[in-house]
Amino acid sequence: MKNKNSISLLLLATLLVNACGSFSAELTVQDAWARPANAGENGAAYFIIENGSNIDDTLLSVSSDIAAATEVHMSMVDGNGVMSMQMQEAVIVPAKDKVEFKPGGLHVMFVSLTRDLKTGDTITLTLDFKEAGSLTIQVPVRAQ
Amino acid sequence: MIKKNIYAPLYIATAVIALSLLIGFAFRRPYTFHGTVIEPPLPVTDFSLQTANGESFRLSDQDGKIVLLFFGYTSCPDVCPITLGTFKQVYERLGDDAQKVRFVMITADPDRDTPEKVAAYAAQFNPEFIGLSGSLAELKAIWKELGVFVEKQNSDSAAGYLVSHTASVYVIDQNGDLLMMFPYGTGTIDMADDLTQLLKQMEKR
Repeated sequence: MKNKNSISLLLLATLLVNACGSFSAELTVQDAWARPANAGENGAAYFIIENGSNIDDTLLSVSSDIAAATEVHMSMVDGNGVMSMQMQEAVIVPAKDKVEFKPGGLHVMFVSLTRDLKTGDTITLTLDFKEAGSLTIQVPVRAQ
Repeated sequence: MIKKNIYAPLYIATAVIALSLLIGFAFRRPYTFHGTVIEPPLPVTDFSLQTANGESFRLSDQDGKIVLLFFGYTSCPDVCPITLGTFKQVYERLGDDAQKVRFVMITADPDRDTPEKVAAYAAQFNPEFIGLSGSLAELKAIWKELGVFVEKQNSDSAAGYLVSHTASVYVIDQNGDLLMMFPYGTGTIDMADDLTQLLKQMEKR
């Protein structure tokens, strides 16, 4: 009888662990990458923010130790083919939704890189969210 | 039990012939360009700009090559690398034909982009890519003629001002005629196929 109980408990535990593994109720940052660029130039990084929680969150800032400044910008093309960039104060990530940073759209902009970013390198980025707090991610450098 | 169909070879042969006719027909269709064809081609006034090491680049002096032109600025971290990245892939896809094309970036930001800076920026993607700058007056004439919009934009960015600019790619032939424009975002395969077709048409002439 005792044995049977412990088996059920183990099964239940396994079930719970699996459930947690496959569903994140938190905010995650995935598929991050940065473009190769030289020291002194500006650079860019991209990722996907997924908000699995039930409350909207806001990306307040991104920081790094590889550039004079780290900012969030959005590239936009108008009907005449004119491309412009706009600095973003904050980026809202709605509950149970995701926001994609990608070439030609939202991106992290490194102003005046203090080091070369070469394919194969890894850089560290810290994202500050209003709700989720501070998230530090490792970002591989690779060509598009 | 299995009844052999004596007509089977005939069916197969008919199918093969029909299929080859169909494929032949498909390839005979006139090629449809992905870029915007400028009809009639627009003659572009000859210009000369500076590249690295005090060397200059004259449009009319390109050994019969097609010139693929793009306007951008080196402080631009997102869109300009996308287009130059496409150029790099187009170059690779063209194979031997890449030698018949000049890949050129002209700055939209002469105040910050020296010829050396643009040349180094373009060459990062492929050592054969050419980066050009010049005086504001020289550049303005080219922008105006090709309908390239350029405007400085104040921003709170630590990068200082940003530049809004037309992100299209321009195709100019060896006679200095603007033949085609690719809108921003044209894919590698579409651009390369169009260039291959243009080169074919030129050889026929």
